[in-house]
Amino acid sequence: MQTNTLRTGLLVTAAILVAASIFLPLWGMTLVSVQYPEGLRMVVYPTKIVGDITELNLLNHYIGMAEIDEDFFVELDALPILFGAIAVMTAAAAFVRRWWASAVPLAAMTGTAIYGFWSMSRRLYQFGHDLDPNAAIKIEPFTPPMIGEHVIAQFGTYAYFSWGTILPAVAGGIVAYVLWRDLQEHRAAAPGRRELGLLRNPLGVEG
Amino acid sequence: MNKRTIGSIVVGVVAVVVVAWIATLGDRRPTVPGEQVMATADVQAAALRTYIKPGDLDEYYLFYSGGHSGQIFVAGVPSMRHIATIPVFTPYPGTGYGFDEETKAMLGGYTWGDVHHPALSKTNGDYDGRWLFVNDNANNRVARIDLRDFKTKQIIGPIPNTMGNHGSSMVTDNTEYALVATRFSVPVPQRYEPVEDYATKYKGAVTGIKIDPNSGEMSIGWQILTPPFNWDLGATGKGPSVDWAFWTSYNAERATGKLEITASQRDRDYVAVVNWRAAERAVREGRGRRISGVPVLDPAEVEGVMYLVPCAKSPHGVDVDPSGEYIICSGKLSPTVTIYSWEKLKKAIDAKAFSGHEDGIPVLDYDQVVVMEVPVGLGPLHTQFDGRGNAYTSLFVESAVVKWKLPPYAPGTDPESLVLQKIPVHFNIGHLVTAHGDTKNPRGDYLVAMNKLSKGRHLSVGPSIPESSQLIDIKTGDRMTMLYEAFTEPEPHFAQLVHRDVLKPIEFYPKEENRNPNAIWSPSEAKVVRNARTRTVEAWVYAIRTYFEPGRIQVQEGDTVIIHITNAEQQQDEIHGFGITEYDKNVVIDPGETKTVKFVADKYGVYPYYCTNFCSALHQEMQGYIEVVPRGMRLTMYDNGEGEMRFERREPALAMAGHEGH
Repeated sequence: MQTNTLRTGLLVTAAILVAASIFLPLWGMTLVSVQYPEGLRMVVYPTKIVGDITELNLLNHYIGMAEIDEDFFVELDALPILFGAIAVMTAAAAFVRRWWASAVPLAAMTGTAIYGFWSMSRRLYQFGHDLDPNAAIKIEPFTPPMIGEHVIAQFGTYAYFSWGTILPAVAGGIVAYVLWRDLQEHRAAAPGRRELGLLRNPLGVEG
Repeated sequence: MNKRTIGSIVVGVVAVVVVAWIATLGDRRPTVPGEQVMATADVQAAALRTYIKPGDLDEYYLFYSGGHSGQIFVAGVPSMRHIATIPVFTPYPGTGYGFDEETKAMLGGYTWGDVHHPALSKTNGDYDGRWLFVNDNANNRVARIDLRDFKTKQIIGPIPNTMGNHGSSMVTDNTEYALVATRFSVPVPQRYEPVEDYATKYKGAVTGIKIDPNSGEMSIGWQILTPPFNWDLGATGKGPSVDWAFWTSYNAERATGKLEITASQRDRDYVAVVNWRAAERAVREGRGRRISGVPVLDPAEVEGVMYLVPCAKSPHGVDVDPSGEYIICSGKLSPTVTIYSWEKLKKAIDAKAFSGHEDGIPVLDYDQVVVMEVPVGLGPLHTQFDGRGNAYTSLFVESAVVKWKLPPYAPGTDPESLVLQKIPVHFNIGHLVTAHGDTKNPRGDYLVAMNKLSKGRHLSVGPSIPESSQLIDIKTGDRMTMLYEAFTEPEPHFAQLVHRDVLKPIEFYPKEENRNPNAIWSPSEAKVVRNARTRTVEAWVYAIRTYFEPGRIQVQEGDTVIIHITNAEQQQDEIHGFGITEYDKNVVIDPGETKTVKFVADKYGVYPYYCTNFCSALHQEMQGYIEVVPRGMRLTMYDNGEGEMRFERREPALAMAGHEGH
């Protein structure tokens, strides 16, 4: 009883964390310089990009950087769907007492994480390299760093991951833990009973 | 407590810490590159260096250009206190400028100008304290301010064949010429040609405004027609380069449209190297063609007046070092300043080391004239000097002033090693000025950074905000130290920083120097004369503490009224104003000065005039009446049959009748 309640609780919590992340910031960058002591901010959510985007675009146009425009990013359409699907899968896994049940959302999470990071590094590279050759100021192409403090031209920059990345990571940890436990349990069970036991009681209701 | 409880507490605490840390990430502020914080000791030292105790005087005059305010602002350094505003291209009721007939005529109907680069007159390459020349970028004019009385004395222009007089009004070493240059090329002479034909039919021009060595009177000396580049800043040579002038340009592309892109395509634009002595000679020899009444030289025909030198990239400022040997161009779109040596330029000119031509103008071979490209930082705009072998360049994008070492350099010098120090300024510096910084003998103690943005540096005054200037000590410890900041109205560009000992202003206008034929020096000379035939009333008004003589001026509705007011005071600061209610007139007359105001009395009734500039305890009583008698009604004041009223004496008893005992 206790074990199953814990499993359900963990997976439901993980599902909630992922679902909530749809509305939370994934990643942000803050830029400061002498003339922007208050800082310029860009914060990326799964669904939108907020912050001083107009000002950043105005500054970026001198070096011919493409405009940061929500419509440009297919990721902003894909991520909420992926996050939603993962949340549903995770919640469903809570009620499917199969040893592999948690592997499904975990695989989806891993896939989304790979897609997310690949996509992000691709975008950072793309924005720093696909510079308009006709721009007023020509600079060496560069890749804005994904994390930590750096200097880009006259700006000090600080990039960080936020709740929208961290909570799904925690959720991933939880799901991985549940999967590990399920696997332990599965192995502990007699080989002959493996399939049978779970088939007989697919929702894991004891009694 | 068992292990499990302790474990849970530890996990809980760690979780809270992690959550709290993550929550702060979005607010975390990275370090500002180059940011410097003033330590308490620095603050105290700066306060002592800039504090001028009440009654004491500043050491330097700072003449700020007032930008599109059309004025010059005068401040004291090191206190940075604003002392006076000198109206030049804009009417200024505070001093009555543009309200009296003389200054109205000088303004020529324009109500504003765009003052960018004030230039003090020089003798042998040093400020001589006689005049200040200022340009008008908008209406293509140059004005001369006399520093004896700090008044605008002459405005020349609109200068023909010139549009957007930006690269102006730097003066040559002995004030032979003030520079003028076209920023916006147009068809020359002025006519209609579609913008599509810009590259072929539009022209730029650089001009020398000749200055009379005694009177300062300006006239147009010579003009050189150029390709339609956008001429930017100018500088005059000194020492070995004394006969030469230099201008930077952008838009060597000859482009139109969105210039921020179209004029930023080439990696190098040009610096013009102009032999003004040769231009002067060519005009004297009649080699100029008259266009719009001005002697114009074609540099393709008149050999030796103009050469071009490539320079990276859309350069802004050009400045000549105190020795006159090094010409320094600030890259704007290139993070470098380019240094040319005069010796190399001269050699290349003599050897005709040309790499090409632009519309017949020889382009000097870059490699033969360049000394070094110094990597000073982002957005270099202007350079000034300290006389100790250092240069100071403003960095707009980086929002900093960079100090770097001037040549000569040992062979193989690493350009990076020439950059000595950077100091952040707030924010986005345009020009900078050092004490006597463009002369042969810079004083090397103060530098003023004139910044384009001041957001958040002062009490908020809403969206329309002033500009900031920052005073930097460049002497103590042979390094730059921030001292102070002040705010001005829009919008200083360049300035001149000159030691107070160089200037000898008068305290008031001595009576014997007043050559105005309408000056009067006693109340008995005051009179009002009406010419019924021309319907003109002319009044000679005497002003002194604390009355105007006459105290009434009678005119017929529709009369033209001319009033000459003499301030008969011979005491500093006894300034009188003459404001006429509802007639939109205010002249301010300094002690010993005579001014004339003219208007048509087109509305009848009684309109008081009064002293607008507070003068004494009875200032409030200093008033009179203009009686505008309706058409058809008889005037009563002119009783001598000649249409003339003389005022033999003032009768205060009459004026005070019935008020005794109060």
